[in-house]
Amino acid sequence: MTLKTPEKSTRRYGKAEGTDYQSPEVWSKVTGKAVYGIDHAMPGMLHGKILRSPYPHARIKKVDTTAAEALPGVRAVLTGTELESKPFGIAVEDELPLAVDKVRYIGDEVAAVAAVDLQTAERAIKAIKVEYEELPAVYDPAEALQEGAPQLHDNFPGNVAWERELERGSSSAAFAGADVVVEESFTIPAIHPAYLEPISCIAVDDPYTGITLHTALQSPDAVRKIVAGALNYPLSKVHVNGPVMGGGFGGRVYGNLKVYILSAMLAIKSGRPVKIQLTREEEFTAGRPMIAAAIKMKMAVKSDGTILGREADIITDNGAYSGQAPWVSKTLSERNDSVYRIPGIKTRVRLAYTNKIPTGQYRAYGNQVANFATESLIDMAAKKLGLDPLEMRLKNCVREGDITVHGLQVGKCGLSECLQAAAREIGWDHKKAGHGYGLSVAIHANGSLVFDKNFRGASALARLELDGRITLFTGEQDYGQGTHGAFAQIAAKALDVRPAQITVESKETKTAPFSTGALAMRQTTVGGKAIQLAAEDLREKIFKAAAELTGEPVTMKNSVLNTMSGRTLELGEIAYHYHNNTSGLNLTGEGKFVPEESDYDESGYGNISVAYSFAAHAVELELDKTTGAITVNRLVAAHDSGRIVNHLTARGQVYGGVAQGIGMSCFEGCLFDEGRMANATLADYKIPTALDLPEIDPLFIEIEDPVGPYGSKGLGEIVMVPVIGAVANAAADAAGVRITDLPLTAEKIYQAMAGWECEQ
Amino acid sequence: MNNLKKQVLIFQLNGEPVEIFADPAESLLTVLREKLGLYGTKAGCGKGECGACTVLLDDRAVNSCLVPAGKVQGRKVETIENLSQGGKVHMIQEEFVEKGAVQCGFCSPGMVMSAYALLKENPQPNPEQVKVAISGNLCRCSGYKQIEEAILSAAERLKN
Repeated sequence: MTLKTPEKSTRRYGKAEGTDYQSPEVWSKVTGKAVYGIDHAMPGMLHGKILRSPYPHARIKKVDTTAAEALPGVRAVLTGTELESKPFGIAVEDELPLAVDKVRYIGDEVAAVAAVDLQTAERAIKAIKVEYEELPAVYDPAEALQEGAPQLHDNFPGNVAWERELERGSSSAAFAGADVVVEESFTIPAIHPAYLEPISCIAVDDPYTGITLHTALQSPDAVRKIVAGALNYPLSKVHVNGPVMGGGFGGRVYGNLKVYILSAMLAIKSGRPVKIQLTREEEFTAGRPMIAAAIKMKMAVKSDGTILGREADIITDNGAYSGQAPWVSKTLSERNDSVYRIPGIKTRVRLAYTNKIPTGQYRAYGNQVANFATESLIDMAAKKLGLDPLEMRLKNCVREGDITVHGLQVGKCGLSECLQAAAREIGWDHKKAGHGYGLSVAIHANGSLVFDKNFRGASALARLELDGRITLFTGEQDYGQGTHGAFAQIAAKALDVRPAQITVESKETKTAPFSTGALAMRQTTVGGKAIQLAAEDLREKIFKAAAELTGEPVTMKNSVLNTMSGRTLELGEIAYHYHNNTSGLNLTGEGKFVPEESDYDESGYGNISVAYSFAAHAVELELDKTTGAITVNRLVAAHDSGRIVNHLTARGQVYGGVAQGIGMSCFEGCLFDEGRMANATLADYKIPTALDLPEIDPLFIEIEDPVGPYGSKGLGEIVMVPVIGAVANAAADAAGVRITDLPLTAEKIYQAMAGWECEQ
Repeated sequence: MNNLKKQVLIFQLNGEPVEIFADPAESLLTVLREKLGLYGTKAGCGKGECGACTVLLDDRAVNSCLVPAGKVQGRKVETIENLSQGGKVHMIQEEFVEKGAVQCGFCSPGMVMSAYALLKENPQPNPEQVKVAISGNLCRCSGYKQIEEAILSAAERLKN
C-alpha cells in the first residue's frame, strides 16, 4: 500500500500553497481496521449496565438489589446510598454518580451493575426493585422559573442554575434615539450532536497505575480531573487512553461523565475491567444535547441602517443537571454582539432547571443558536428601512482594529470580504425570480482565555527518533477534523522535512502534555502554535548537535543536513550521536505557547481570545407554496480562518459543519412529551442524509493572522454558525413571513403563510 | 446460553466457507463482530437507521443488524475486511482517502460497502444515483460531498 498525495483541490479563492496531506490513520479507518471504543475489549472484562429512572421527578423510597446480586454471573451492584460521593459537575456541582434521594429526569441513573456478559447485566438491572414516590414535574423552563413551580434542587432555589444581567454602553439611550426598533421572540430546541459511534468506556483499576479509562474524549485531561475528584483519587492515578473516536462535535468534550465514573466505580468494586456502552436510545434519552433556548431580542437602528443597540431576554433550558450549560448560555448570550459594531447592549439570561435530559454542548457553543435571532432581526430591520440586507451588514460589521462591545480586540478581519464574496458567488445582484435569498455572518473565538484563567495556552514536544523520524506529543485531539495531519504539516514546515516523516501522539494522558483539548476552536491556533514552537526548538537543537558532531555550522534542506565543507548528514545520525552522548536521551524540542494575560474584568469585558475567525454565508432556496416545504439549493460559505493549513480537510470541515447547520435549521430538534424524549431514534431524530443537502461552496478568504501557526486560524466550529440565520432569512424572503421557531418545517411555513394562529 | 435455539449455519464469508453454531434469530452484525471477530463492520444503532453495519449479502448492500443470522444460510456475505488484503486496498478506498472522504471514519466501512454494491450493479452511476445509493448511510462529519466525489472518481477509474 502506498500513501498517495491526493490531487490538488480546485478552488476559486485562496492560494494554492499548502498541501492536501492526510494523516495515515485514514487508511486504518477506511479499511475497517481502526479500533473504536465499541470494538475494544480487555481480558477478564465485565459488562456494565445502568438502571435509569422511569419517572421525570420522583422520590426514591427504597432500592432493593437482593435479587440482582443473587443472579449467577453478577459481579458488582452499586446504588446511590452506598456511595459516599460529593456532588461533581463541570460548571456547577449538582450531580451525583447515582441518585440518592430523588430522580430528576426520565433516564436519571439509579443503580449500576457489572456482570460477566451483557445479557446477565440486563437481567440484573431488571431484577432491581425500586420504590418511587412521584413528584410534580416541570418541563417548560419559563414555567420552572415561576413562583410555585416544582423545585428540582434544594440548593438552587427558584430552579435557577445560573443567571446573568449585563449592560454595556448605554442601551436605553440607544433605544431612545432609534428611528426603528425591531423585536421578536425566537425558540430553538435542544440539538443532539448525534456522533455516529455511541459512547463507551472500559475502566481498569490497577493497584500500581490506578484507574485507566479507555474512552475517546475531546478533552481527556478535563474529564480526568472530574473523575479523579468524584472517585477521590489523586490526579496522577487517573488516566485516559483513547481509542479511535467515532465523532464528537462538542458532545465528547466531557462526553458522558456518568459512564466514566460508574465504569470506574464498578471496576473498583469488582476488581475487573468494566465496559459500559450506551445504546443509541440511551444516547438520546440520557445523553447531553445542547441547551434549548427562548430568546426575546430587540434591536435599535437608525434610518441609515446603523445599529445603535440591542437588548435580549434569554431563557435557556438546563434540563435536570447543568453540564456545561452555564458556559454555553454565556457564549450564546454574548458572542453574536461582537460581529457588528453595536454601541450598547443589555442582556438578561437565565438558565432554568427542568425535569428533562441534562444538557451539554455542541459545535459552536450556542453561537449558532443566537445567530438565528440576531441575523433574523438584521433582515427585519433592513426590510423595515427599505435597505439591502447586504448593505446593512457591510455597514455594521466589525473590521480590523475594532474593539467590540464586549471588549474583543479584532485583529486581522476579512468579514466584509467574506460578505462580498458570498453575496457575489450566490448571485445577490441577479437573483432568480421566486427564489429566496439570505445572508448571515459570524465571529468565533479561537480558544477562550476566560475558560481557565491560569491555563490559557498549549504546549507540545517534538522528539527526534533514532531512525530520523519525528514524533510530536500533544494533548490536542484529532477525531477526523484533520488536526494531526495539520500538525504534521506545521512541524514539517518548521523543520523542513516531509509531513509523512512525522507521527502525532495524543491519546494517552500518561505521555501527552496536558491540554484543554478539542473545544472552543482552539486547536489549530493555540495547539498548532505550540507545535510550531516545539518544532523550531527541535530544529535549533538539531543544528547545535550537528555542529558539535562535525565541528562546523550546518544548514538543513529536505531532511538532510549540510555542512559548510560539503558533508551531508541524515537526521538519524544526529539522533544517534546525541543518544550516545547522553546515554539514551532523544533530542527533544519544547513548545510553550503562553498567550499574554488579557485584561478582561470580572464582568468578562476584555479580549477573551488570541484571535477571531469570521464567516459569511449566503443561501439560495426554493419554496413549494402548496406545502410550505423549502429546498435549500445552494449555500456559499465564505470563511476568514487565516491562511488555510490544509485545503482538503478544511473543505471537509465546511461541508460537514454546513450539513449540521442545515439539519438544525430544517429538521433537527429533541421533542419531549411529559419529559420523555419522543424522538429518541435516528429514524425520528432526523439528521441530514446525502439527499437532504444543498450544493455547498466553501470560499476561503486567506488573510494571514500574526498569532496562529503560519498565519492560520480556527475553522471547525464557526462553519456551522451562520447557516441558521442564512437559511431563516432566505426562507423568510421566499415565504414573505418569518418563522421564529426552529426547525423551519413545511408545516410551520405553510401555516404562517396561510395566516393561521398556531401554538409554538 | 440457550443452546436449544442454536443451529449450525454454513455460509460463504469473504470468499471462504464458514460454519458457526448460533441462534438463527441473532443478527448477522452480532455474528460477524462477536462470533467471527470481524470488527470492521460498525454498530451505530442496531435498528437499521444509520447504515454503519452495511455488508453485502449476495452482492446487495444490507444493514447487517437487520438480517437474522438464519437468513444467511447457504448465501454469500462480503464485509469490509474483504476489500483490502495485505498491503493492497480497493480502489474505492483509495478514492475515499484521495478525496478527503474519511473524517471520524466510523461510517466509512459501511459507506465503502454501499459504494462497492452500487458500482457492482451500476459501474457508471450519475451523481444522483450515488446520493441515493448512500442515502441509507448516515455520516455526521462530512456533509457527504467528498464521499460522493470519491465514488464518482472510482467509477471514472473503472471506465479505464
